Amino acid sequence: MVKGYEVVIGLETHAELNTESKIYCSCKNQFGLEVNTQVCPICMGMPGALPTLNEKVVDYAIKMGHALNCKINSVCKQDRKNYFYPDLPKAYQISQAEVPLCENGYVDVYVDGEERRIGITRIHIEEDAGKLLHSDKFSGSLVDLNRCGVPLIEIVSEPDMRSSAEAKAYLETLKSILQYLDICDCKMQEGSIRCDVNVSVHKPGEPLGTRSEMKNVNSFSAAVRGIDYEVNRQIELLESGSKVVQETRRWDDDKGISVSMRSKEDAQDYRYFPEPDLLTIVVDKDRINALKAEIPELPNKKLIRYIKEFGLSLKEATAISENVAKANFFDECVASGEVSPKSVCNWLLGDIAKYENANNIAITETPVTPQKLVELIKVIESGKISNAAGKTVFEVIIKEDKEIEDVIKEKSLAQVSDLSALEAIANEVLSSNEKSINDYKSGKTNALGFLVGQCMKASKGKANPSMMKEIILKKIEG
Amino acid sequence: MGIDIKHIAKLSRLYIEDEKVEKFESDMLGIVQMVENLPDVEDEPLLDPANPMTLREDKAEGGKYSRDELTRNAPHVTAGCLVVPKTVE
Amino acid sequence: MELYNLSGYELSKKLESKEISSKELTEDVFERIESVEGKVDAYVTLDKENALKKAAEVDEKRASGEKLSRLAGLPVGIKDNISTRNLRTTCSSKMLENYIPPFNATVMDKLNGEDIVITGKLNMDEFAMGSSTETSYFKKTKNPFDETRIPGGSSGGSAAAVSAGEAIMALGSDTGGSIRQPASYCGVVGLKPTYGAVSRFGLVAFASSLDQIGPIGRTVKDTAMLYSAICGFDKMDATSKNMSHPDYLVNLKSDVKGLRIGVPKEYFSKGIDENVKSAVLSAVKVLEQNGAVVKEVSLPSTEYALNAYYIISSAEASSNLARYDGVKYGYRAKDYDDLTDMYEKTRSEGFGDEVKRRIMLGTFVLSSGYYDAYYKKARLLQRRISKEFCDVFKEVDLLAAPTVPSTAFKIGENIDNPLKMYATDVCTVTINIAGLPAISVPCGYDEAGLPIGLQLISDKFNEQTLLNTAECYENIMGGFKRPVL
Repeated sequence: MVKGYEVVIGLETHAELNTESKIYCSCKNQFGLEVNTQVCPICMGMPGALPTLNEKVVDYAIKMGHALNCKINSVCKQDRKNYFYPDLPKAYQISQAEVPLCENGYVDVYVDGEERRIGITRIHIEEDAGKLLHSDKFSGSLVDLNRCGVPLIEIVSEPDMRSSAEAKAYLETLKSILQYLDICDCKMQEGSIRCDVNVSVHKPGEPLGTRSEMKNVNSFSAAVRGIDYEVNRQIELLESGSKVVQETRRWDDDKGISVSMRSKEDAQDYRYFPEPDLLTIVVDKDRINALKAEIPELPNKKLIRYIKEFGLSLKEATAISENVAKANFFDECVASGEVSPKSVCNWLLGDIAKYENANNIAITETPVTPQKLVELIKVIESGKISNAAGKTVFEVIIKEDKEIEDVIKEKSLAQVSDLSALEAIANEVLSSNEKSINDYKSGKTNALGFLVGQCMKASKGKANPSMMKEIILKKIEG
Repeated sequence: MGIDIKHIAKLSRLYIEDEKVEKFESDMLGIVQMVENLPDVEDEPLLDPANPMTLREDKAEGGKYSRDELTRNAPHVTAGCLVVPKTVE
Repeated sequence: MELYNLSGYELSKKLESKEISSKELTEDVFERIESVEGKVDAYVTLDKENALKKAAEVDEKRASGEKLSRLAGLPVGIKDNISTRNLRTTCSSKMLENYIPPFNATVMDKLNGEDIVITGKLNMDEFAMGSSTETSYFKKTKNPFDETRIPGGSSGGSAAAVSAGEAIMALGSDTGGSIRQPASYCGVVGLKPTYGAVSRFGLVAFASSLDQIGPIGRTVKDTAMLYSAICGFDKMDATSKNMSHPDYLVNLKSDVKGLRIGVPKEYFSKGIDENVKSAVLSAVKVLEQNGAVVKEVSLPSTEYALNAYYIISSAEASSNLARYDGVKYGYRAKDYDDLTDMYEKTRSEGFGDEVKRRIMLGTFVLSSGYYDAYYKKARLLQRRISKEFCDVFKEVDLLAAPTVPSTAFKIGENIDNPLKMYATDVCTVTINIAGLPAISVPCGYDEAGLPIGLQLISDKFNEQTLLNTAECYENIMGGFKRPVL
């Protein structure tokens, strides 16, 4: 609720699929190449050229359908959406209208400490358009058609979200699922995920309000800003006694405002009709099932499991689950049953994350395997080496493929837990620190820490610190 | 029934001169009155599963055409781009 | 010797035996073109230089002992809506007046593989929309049997050129009768193949779900020979059928014994000229006398086919022709204020009135509020029509009907009356709607000496039966009459 209004949000999310070739021709599907070099008569819409459908696009969309618990329509077709614009060479986009590939699904997202189920109306396949380039120095606009025919899936949600935070959680969940399925690069800066936002507000108990559709939302944070702006704009309109009109608006993220593009009256008439250049898509039931079998445990499920079963915080669980490589690494460590999930989490989000960021590398690209991390945690938790020594070992094994045992030996990092050896160190330290002993006895308890520290120093860090502390205590308290 | 020829022309991105509107309108009306004589048929989705399509293998094949070859027919090209009247203010 | 007058089949034998060279033949055909093109106006673009070059190449190959295809060295004309690499492809429209395709249609790759000689690009109704070739932006083609009359359309240039000896054979395209109707008017043979039998890749689309490329020849053998060269699966055309085809020429059997021919009564009802009706029925009689079994059949939904055809074809055309916007290729208006103005002026100046009418009709039947009542209903009706044919082909092997209700009309006679023009398609459109193959063969002449066409229709992918029956009829009749020019 915002200022006494309920907010209703639905999202249409476009994700570019990372296939090798385009959806309807064999041009390379690659971002960032020189203008108009990844085109052919088909994606340029030259007279007489015809489309052929890339089978991977169908597979990928079905996978996403499975991941979002959709019904897969094994028999479906494609339709033409007709409109004129210079970035659309055929003047129609091949899409799906009447029967989409996937429909009636849902996705569970985690917001404010609870699970929320967002309905998925449909997922369909379609082609991307080209790009228009503008320059103040030039009187016209320039058209680059490289992006024409890049495969897209459009994921349409039900109007089930009630706040911008929910919308953000939904988008982030979709993004991590796409990454898990490895069907989209999810490079926001390259526009591989884009969305249109539908927003309306109404007083509780009253019918739904008139919605506006906002286009050009190019990042998740922009979605949050756009929704918040739009909610406030609509509430202000209603509070001032005016009405919200049904229209399409354009989000200007730089200025932080949305501006009207067209009203319902001049809404485009897309004149959808079945694409006559393509026949019915029929996907074998076995194929649909085989694709389902390829779906791994998904990040939203992992997230909830990490929180509920392992007691990780939302922040920790999110950080691990949103990255498929990290999550798999984590799961493998935990599956050993020899270390606690919390310790693995601390390593993954602590030293390992620090190393990954500093060196721009993923843990899976280093010699550290889940087995090695488990072993390292074990030697530390068993007291064989100290925490500090553990870090030293880590710094070696992250760079070189070495056995942990060998590193400990080479660097003589093993902790001294031998009672007589520790007592000898304690005696030596205590004999030269009379003052600290007196301080402790007179109530200055932090003198104990100093003494233990001196012992650790004398042992070159190898003394078992908890044993050391016990010995010192015993000796000075007599 | 009437046909809003100006609206249809606009949707089609055609411009019909005023003096031709009447002729187009009466022609269109005649044609529409002819073609709208259709019997009632049961509604169903336009799918034909008995006649499915073979899909293409996902393999990229680039470099068959040069950019110059593909843009040589364009009325206005600058720096490899097609040029159109400005689309934003 | 007037080589241009011989059939492709005969010429093929002469070329193979080296009795004649392709260069001689090609030069002869171009001489013929120079002498009659002024009267016929069949070509939009002639390509003499490359034709002669190709002919010499073929002769050289043959001299070196290379085994060549039976079409090698034969001069063939191509309808100007079939994409030819580096050879202007205009669709007879101002819009594409200077369009030079960077790629070949699949059928052109196939024909080049067979070493045919391309004479040039043939005139047609603008974007294949029309039944008289009068909507061409460039010229009006005349009927070689009577130069004051239209050759039919939209493949009017193709049929007229073959009829007049300006090409040995030609490719046309048929969306609602555009091969068969001009073949009928010009006294030649035209085959509209089963939808999916010939690749549409590179055929500039009019109505994608109805368009097919097909051959036009002066004899059934020539038609079979050219058809065999262009048919077959193409992975570039998702609507092409993955199947193997026989060699239609080698398998040609001039025999109709026991053949069950159906005469659909709806094709002989009102609006069909008496002389057409009687010519077609006597052709059927001839086949019956030679062993065919004839019976009357009924296709009750025929009366709606023309309506469904104009809805579906115009709807698809409105979308297919939207790409002509002055951005990537083709005409662009000289003066405009902004993007929308550029689009509107470009398209209004670049397209002729008939194309505009069809685009607007198509836009209308697809527009919000009308889709279900027009487009969807027509598509559902299409299923019913297909089903009726399917049922009839359980009883008979093929159907015999007129190709066109009357003989060729005068140039200008119907140009201002679209409804009258559209009505000439009444016997042919149903076949496109049902995706079937059909052939038109000359079966007589009216009192003015104008050719009448017999249309034979078969079930899907049964072109061999059509060609066999047509061949048998041609042999019985002792060949077809040629125009005097």
